Amino acid sequence: MKAIEVRNLRRVFRATIGVVRRKIKEIVAVDDISFEVYDGELFGLLGPNGAGKTTTVKMLTTMLIPTSGEARVLGLDVVRSAEALRSRIGFVFGGERGLYWRLSGYDNLRYFASLYHVDPAVSRKRIPYLLDLVGLSDRGQEKVEGYSRGMKQRLHIARTLLHDPQVLFLDEPTIGLDPVGARELRQVVRNLQAEKKTILLTTHYMFEADALCQRIAVIDKGRIIALDTPEGLKTYVKDLAVIEFEVYGVPSNVLEQLRAQPYVHTVSVENRDQKQALLIHSPRGSQAVPDLLSMMNGIRIGNVIVREPTLEDAYVRLVGGEA
Amino acid sequence: MNLKTLRDYGRVIFYAAEMALRSNLTDSFVLFGILVQPIIIALLAFWMLGDRGGEYIIFVVIGSGMTGLWTSCLFISGNSITQERWTGTLELMVSTPTPVSVIVIGKILSNVLQSLASMVLSYTLAIVIFGYVPTINQPVLFTISLLLTILSYACFGLLISPVFVLNPDVQRLQNGLEFPVYVLCGFMFPIALLPGWTTPLSYILSPYWAARALHATSSQWNGLGEVALSWAAMVALSLIYLMLSSLLFKRLLRRARLDATLNIQ
Repeated sequence: MKAIEVRNLRRVFRATIGVVRRKIKEIVAVDDISFEVYDGELFGLLGPNGAGKTTTVKMLTTMLIPTSGEARVLGLDVVRSAEALRSRIGFVFGGERGLYWRLSGYDNLRYFASLYHVDPAVSRKRIPYLLDLVGLSDRGQEKVEGYSRGMKQRLHIARTLLHDPQVLFLDEPTIGLDPVGARELRQVVRNLQAEKKTILLTTHYMFEADALCQRIAVIDKGRIIALDTPEGLKTYVKDLAVIEFEVYGVPSNVLEQLRAQPYVHTVSVENRDQKQALLIHSPRGSQAVPDLLSMMNGIRIGNVIVREPTLEDAYVRLVGGEA
Repeated sequence: MNLKTLRDYGRVIFYAAEMALRSNLTDSFVLFGILVQPIIIALLAFWMLGDRGGEYIIFVVIGSGMTGLWTSCLFISGNSITQERWTGTLELMVSTPTPVSVIVIGKILSNVLQSLASMVLSYTLAIVIFGYVPTINQPVLFTISLLLTILSYACFGLLISPVFVLNPDVQRLQNGLEFPVYVLCGFMFPIALLPGWTTPLSYILSPYWAARALHATSSQWNGLGEVALSWAAMVALSLIYLMLSSLLFKRLLRRARLDATLNIQ
């Protein structure tokens, strides 16, 4: 059974530009997307910043009214049946906001439990359980203002589970967390999946989507450009090898020259501390390395690796090397 | 609306009120508005008008307490939604099954009750510093007037809150609205001293009727008729404020969902 159904959903924002001669500019954040999420599925929405992930989640959680199209969650229309839907879904947006910092974690949960009409007898048992689930049982009585970012994120997860929702929307829940905090939070998501919750997770971390999601929709500039299982998405680049150069600064004219080569499909650069990784997708694999090196004269180069493509490479190819 | 829903809403109002109380107790701006400022006003009034006699003292106590109530209504209740929007909690509030207006009622009721502390402080001040013992002429009717005052202020706050969110230009005038209402509502002196054209403005403000009922039952007793008129006006205006605020809340939330302004970062 389908837990989420999205049909031709579109959302346009209007922004005013100029001071004297004001003009209204229309920005299409979500452009005619359609997808379905099945009961108990962990579905990923993967895309770069500004791709339309959060806007999609806000429409599905009744916080934004779509410009056109239709969306149903648990069979309820997100606009017409918004009030009925709210008690059956939960959501988390990445970041530290949305909590009452002067109250303790426990008091925040108690307050939100009342807003969701959870019976006090139930919430008295459920709040300690949830604090334990997210690893905050020993800090629950402390004020939220003293929590780390990761603790606040985990408190948000506990908040969203107070009313035991059937469908969860997790919008970049690990953003800004340190590796340990992110790993702990991913474990919480896995536990929720084991409880057969339907989860829509947005992220721009490829390994996170790969590790957690059963199916992934890749979204870019408001449009879904691919929808498949992680393994299925990797086949998008199965004909290509990835050549990875460790470099210390690459001029833009060299990047342009590399992109112009007929045997080069995608060129992207990732920052890695003091150095960068120059990633080139090419069907020629290691055979292309000498030609590529000849175009990078004068550039300091460290290791060169030729490897099989990953989900991240598939993603980079899909979004045009702009990751 | 069934009994369970009413019970759920009652619980929300209680928790929202408790949370507002905890937050306000750590906010020096709020503490100044509801505790320090009314004391300053009361001190000035006692020094200037203290020689007018015993009855005038209770007039000052009530009047300065009303200023604390209005300051709280204007700034704390008026900002109750705006503040949630800036802290990112409005989105969470809106996406729960509880109507936002129910949550705001809890917060406003808490603010109004805290503001009554300023009236108690002024009363204590009159006894301790000036040696007056203010007496209330009609204690029972005064208590009823006080309860209606609390309700009418809560309804007024419920109206102001969405107005400020829907009209940021009005909110920019917030500071300027504080003193004119003190004057228009006759907190410290009768509105008969004001030009005649201001009288209709006073009549549409429930704090005016609240001040009139409280002054009449404490020190300026002119018979039950005047008090009954003030009570009826408070109830009628409160109902009108409630209806208007219900419409405004619906409009506010729909507009926020259309304009994507539930959350401002």
